[in-house]
Amino acid sequence: MYHLTNILDATPTVNTAGGYLPIIIQLVFAVGFVASTLLISNFLGPKRISKEKLEPFASGIPSHGEARQPLAIKYFLVAILFVLFDVEVIFFYPYAVNFKSLGWTGFGEVLLFVAFFLIGFFYIVKKKALIWED
Amino acid sequence: MNAIILSAVLGVVMMFSSVLVSNQKAYKGIALVGLLIILIANINETYNGPIFEINTYNMLAFDGFSLFFNTIAIVCTGVYFILTSKQIEKVGGHTAEYFTLIFFVLCGATILSAYNNLLMLFIGIEILTIPLYILTGSKKKDLKSNEAALKYFLMGSFSTGLMLMGIALIYGGTGTFALEKIIPAAASAQGAPAVTAQTLSFLEVGGMLLVTFSLAFKVSAAPFHFWLPDVYYGAPSVFTSFMASVVKAAAFVAFLKLFIARAAGTSVDVSKIIGVDWKMIVAILIICTLLVGNISAVRQQNVKRMLAYSSIAQAGFMLFAIFSLNEMAKEGILLYAVAYSLATIGIFAILSRMKDYTFAGYNGLAKSNPALAFANTVFLLSLAGIPLTAGFFAKYYMLASVMQTGHYMWLVIVGVLFAAVSADYYFRVIQSMYFKNSESENEGQLEENPSNIFKITVVALAIVIILVGVFPNSVLYWLYN
Repeated sequence: MYHLTNILDATPTVNTAGGYLPIIIQLVFAVGFVASTLLISNFLGPKRISKEKLEPFASGIPSHGEARQPLAIKYFLVAILFVLFDVEVIFFYPYAVNFKSLGWTGFGEVLLFVAFFLIGFFYIVKKKALIWED
Repeated sequence: MNAIILSAVLGVVMMFSSVLVSNQKAYKGIALVGLLIILIANINETYNGPIFEINTYNMLAFDGFSLFFNTIAIVCTGVYFILTSKQIEKVGGHTAEYFTLIFFVLCGATILSAYNNLLMLFIGIEILTIPLYILTGSKKKDLKSNEAALKYFLMGSFSTGLMLMGIALIYGGTGTFALEKIIPAAASAQGAPAVTAQTLSFLEVGGMLLVTFSLAFKVSAAPFHFWLPDVYYGAPSVFTSFMASVVKAAAFVAFLKLFIARAAGTSVDVSKIIGVDWKMIVAILIICTLLVGNISAVRQQNVKRMLAYSSIAQAGFMLFAIFSLNEMAKEGILLYAVAYSLATIGIFAILSRMKDYTFAGYNGLAKSNPALAFANTVFLLSLAGIPLTAGFFAKYYMLASVMQTGHYMWLVIVGVLFAAVSADYYFRVIQSMYFKNSESENEGQLEENPSNIFKITVVALAIVIILVGVFPNSVLYWLYN
């Protein structure tokens, strides 16, 4: 058994295979924990199979029909456009963190970024992508 | 820099012309004028420096090579617009958007020719390919087009994931994204101890392998070529033409830039001490690609599919540049970009007007349209690498660059043998055009009679290809001036 302090001593600052030993041990534990809990609960847990238990659970509402039905493309369009503008926010976080050090150049570049997004927004409005009724 | 910014801006302009300009015929004009502006701006940058002074923090470097490649890409796109814009209008109801996406692809190509940083490589590849996924699926009602788009998207994004993983590993191994500053050779030049098997970072070698595989996927080198025949066959012919010409050349320039930067005493040379021989890896890629491309192309009955496989075979020839990594390889890849792109654009311009895409569909074209048949013959001969056409000197430079490295005569012989095989399937098209008669005499082989302007431009393109084949230095002259 490898002693913990030895592992830390053996960890060099450069990237060699030895440096990854703690990660491998961590991996073994993570996979082992998941596998063992699943297996143990599978063997020890009681099994009462009934119709109600095998039905898919959807917030207590009885399910009807299949999930693979044709869906109006409008829902998808609105959803994907929402995601686009939602993802935009992610890029503001790194900017917010470095707000002061980036200064006015950074501000200008963020304005440019927002301007491009607004151009896109103007385009989808003009293309009538957001009009719900046909 | 000019080309990157202007092509992105023109993409936006085209996008808005779709809502502001109602005349369908005007889009072609706007696109051509825009392309002319980009071309002038790029040539101006070559001689007088950029208009837009932007600090890129050394992530982009514009040298003569990259600016000259931009010029080639822009000119080829212009030829493509002139020859096929009529077919672009026929694809669907979104003509302006197709032009928009092509401008964005051009933006990606210009980034790829100038990148100096692995992050820009990634961004360039993404900008290059994402519009292509959309263009591939632009025939919305066509099942083949849909299938091709989905296949291309799934496999393309997977290979992009591989590239990202590789870039992350290279960063882990070297601590930098920059192309030229990568240790260990730079360190040993500054007095640090030489690299040994113990101090060589395995992360860097592994990362470089992943990036290589991903780029091999993008340029469709076997065994990473499986997406290509279906995608090229399923996509509308006009867009296949663009994918097979400018896009492929741009991906190869990116590939070559990466390897030249890494070969200068860094990972490509140093990896040998742990048994990773990059010359051998690329040689295996070349032979696989030539074998798969040529042998499969021989067996095709459909000209479009044959051209897809022939594009794999041509990729095998362009890979010689990545094998030899010298000045001649750089010149050769530019010459190849010109010869291959122009010939492919010409062939597809004629193909997209054919009723029947099989070999039999070309029967008797020489009788009904001698001008088109002549031009098509020149394009096919150029792809086959027959002397007096541009394709000959492109192939010649590739093989000569391998000869310069020494010791690799066998690879040159393999290349020549496969070039001979490629004549088989190119000549079959010529054979159908000249020596076989059409079954239905009256109907003709084309969807509609081509206009005289189209005929003149196609023949002019063929003459340009012959001129480049006779005076290849007329192209390379601009690289050094």
